Amino acid sequence: MKKPSRVYQLVIDTRLVRSTPAWNPQILRFEFTAEESNFKRDLGTFLDNALPDDWQGPADESRDDHWDLNQKIKQGLADRGWLVMSWPKKYGGSDSSPMMNTIFAEEMAYRRAPGHDRFGTRMFGPTLMRFGSEDQRVKYLGSIARGEIQWCQGYSEPNSGSDLASLQTRAIDSGDNFIVTGTKIWTSLAHRADMMFMLVRTDPDSPPHKGISLIMVDMKSPGVEIQPIINMAGVHSFNQVIFNEVSVPKENLVGDLNDGWRVGMTVLNFERSGIDYAAWARAALEELIDYVSGSDPIIGAISSDPIVRSNLAKLKTEIEAARLMCFDVAWRQGQGEIPSSEASMSKVAATDIYTKVLDYGVELLGMYGVLEPGSTQSELEGRFLKMRLFYTSGPILAGTNEIQKNIIAQRGLGLPRK
Amino acid sequence: MDFGLTETQELIRRSAREFLKDESNSETIRSVASGNHDALEKLWKRMLELGWPALIIPEEFGGAGFSFSDLAVLLEELGATLAPVPIVESAITSWIIERYGSESMKSEILPQISSGDILLTPSIVERSGSWDTSSTTVAATKSGTNLVITGEKRFVAFAQQATHALATIRLDDGQPALITIPIWKATGVHQTPMDHVAGVPVSSITFNEVVVPEANIIATGNTAIKAVEELISAGGVARAAQLAGLGRAVLDTTVSYAANREQFGQPIGSFQAVQHHLAEMAIASKQVNHLAHSAAYSFSRDGYSYERAAQAKIAASEKISALCWTAHQCHGAIGFTWEHDLHLYTRRALAWKTDYGDANFHKSNLADAMGL
Repeated sequence: MKKPSRVYQLVIDTRLVRSTPAWNPQILRFEFTAEESNFKRDLGTFLDNALPDDWQGPADESRDDHWDLNQKIKQGLADRGWLVMSWPKKYGGSDSSPMMNTIFAEEMAYRRAPGHDRFGTRMFGPTLMRFGSEDQRVKYLGSIARGEIQWCQGYSEPNSGSDLASLQTRAIDSGDNFIVTGTKIWTSLAHRADMMFMLVRTDPDSPPHKGISLIMVDMKSPGVEIQPIINMAGVHSFNQVIFNEVSVPKENLVGDLNDGWRVGMTVLNFERSGIDYAAWARAALEELIDYVSGSDPIIGAISSDPIVRSNLAKLKTEIEAARLMCFDVAWRQGQGEIPSSEASMSKVAATDIYTKVLDYGVELLGMYGVLEPGSTQSELEGRFLKMRLFYTSGPILAGTNEIQKNIIAQRGLGLPRK
Repeated sequence: MDFGLTETQELIRRSAREFLKDESNSETIRSVASGNHDALEKLWKRMLELGWPALIIPEEFGGAGFSFSDLAVLLEELGATLAPVPIVESAITSWIIERYGSESMKSEILPQISSGDILLTPSIVERSGSWDTSSTTVAATKSGTNLVITGEKRFVAFAQQATHALATIRLDDGQPALITIPIWKATGVHQTPMDHVAGVPVSSITFNEVVVPEANIIATGNTAIKAVEELISAGGVARAAQLAGLGRAVLDTTVSYAANREQFGQPIGSFQAVQHHLAEMAIASKQVNHLAHSAAYSFSRDGYSYERAAQAKIAASEKISALCWTAHQCHGAIGFTWEHDLHLYTRRALAWKTDYGDANFHKSNLADAMGL
């Protein structure tokens, strides 16, 4: 005779009587489904073929030094239906789950592959689907899905960073057009972009959040001037864009007039995930482990140093912790939640650990750690120094980590806003 | 990946919360910490009635036959309430008996663990204070079909409640072995209580020519080494799950304090300096939770992932004690008092971070696993 289940007793004892739970077949929890694993493998195979041999190159599409490769991979992803797989079928996507989208982002970043077109596919496309007119969707979504048009994002201004709602770029009503005047800054890829989606002030008399609109601007319009900004790593990745009485057709307004804050913030919800950083961190750590475990007898000695071993093990732990947070965000999205606080947590954790891995890489390389890329006798091609300098931006961009912590405290923990 | 709970797990969580709210409160914890073992034994008895210690023991041995993941959900709640009971000791020793014990040993011991007649407690650490078992010195000399055991184990939790030690020993031929040794009123066994920050009974045990049947041996040689590694990993993950719950509880308490405590005419929780502390605590607590459950998930009746187990224990050990210190900072002077309960959590976090291998222990082993 079979004994009654102990949990049955547990249920009775605590007077939370429900039907006796049947033995739950082990559900898949901390691993991928077969479909997800297959997709990961197929994407990996595609990237193996598309990326040059021994590719260690820049991971970020906003870097300018491999633009042709960026375009080639973007095209390849579009041809395979992966570029906008997260989109609904009617816009050329395949309605893939947030989990699949996160696997896509992770695999791309882990292989340091450019070409996923964050601005078009992840940020502006979904915004258009939600707020755009039918005409706008027809006109622009297809070209994003086919990888034809490059978008850039015009939000930050010289005097409006974290306090974005204070933005001053004006769009004045002039019959069929807006006349746009002002300056956008930190604009990644402006010099490569065909179009910009930007926040402009359309009602200067309303409170800051109320008088903003989101419009689309052709970067070839007369009066648009692009000034490159070279970042501290020596890379041209972003720009200052000056608008001098640029005429923009009113049909380029997305959503309602003066509702741009709400429309524009949708973008940021798509932007704020840490998965890229968690994957880059994993790739960088593995590169370091390979390096210290290599055949060079002098370098090899480092890998048996207890402090080095301990530090590398800790970094691996922290990376996995950040990675699981990103997949938690995806899982919650799949459950229909909008995990705003969790997304912020993942962004803080992942950018933080990535910069730590890069810091440690530079440190581990010792005297060689501070050789510039291209120097004679550099180790790992000076990549760790360059990446460390470049990804100083991680904890700053897409909402500084301090702003993210405010979001976590206020939206996640329910603490009062000052 | 699925971060949700199964229906069973939801039920375990709700039932546990309901029960522990009243049964494992500040009064109980303080009472046990001050040496009142009756309170402990009463609470443990209630849990035995609920079937919790038998949660992962297969049904054929009188248990509920649930998974390690299910156990982790329960442990989170036990951690959040600092329940002063030998649940981890009982669960992981039963897990090891099930995985490594002979059929006769399993059918003899496991039903008695389920019923509470036997309580095994891991007895691994010796004078060195290390969980590294390569230096085991407790020696067993063969005498007919018996072993004669002499030596000392330290940091044995709940030894005063346990009936048996699950101990590492060294055989005549130098081989390590894992064995059960009766310690409850046993001849030649002497216990000395250690005054431990955990606030639960912890002892050192000396064995003076203790005679134990050879049949009590669970594994020898490399199998014993593997079994002990698994015991430590399972214990580490169990502690990580408890620490995840503990961290969540401390976070909740601190958020609530910050939202209510007013200075300069407003809640201190409206200040960014305080908010950022709390946001970092929230991140840490979530990370430990994910790693603990990811590791627990890897434990199946076919094996487990050491990498995941190590990561869970490393993160739990480092992050949750740090979280507690930050909680003290947020509480200001009141959190520095004996009267306030916060230090009960901090004390337990300090104890649990050292159990089953501290962060350095697991970093070193993880580095091995990473091929370094």
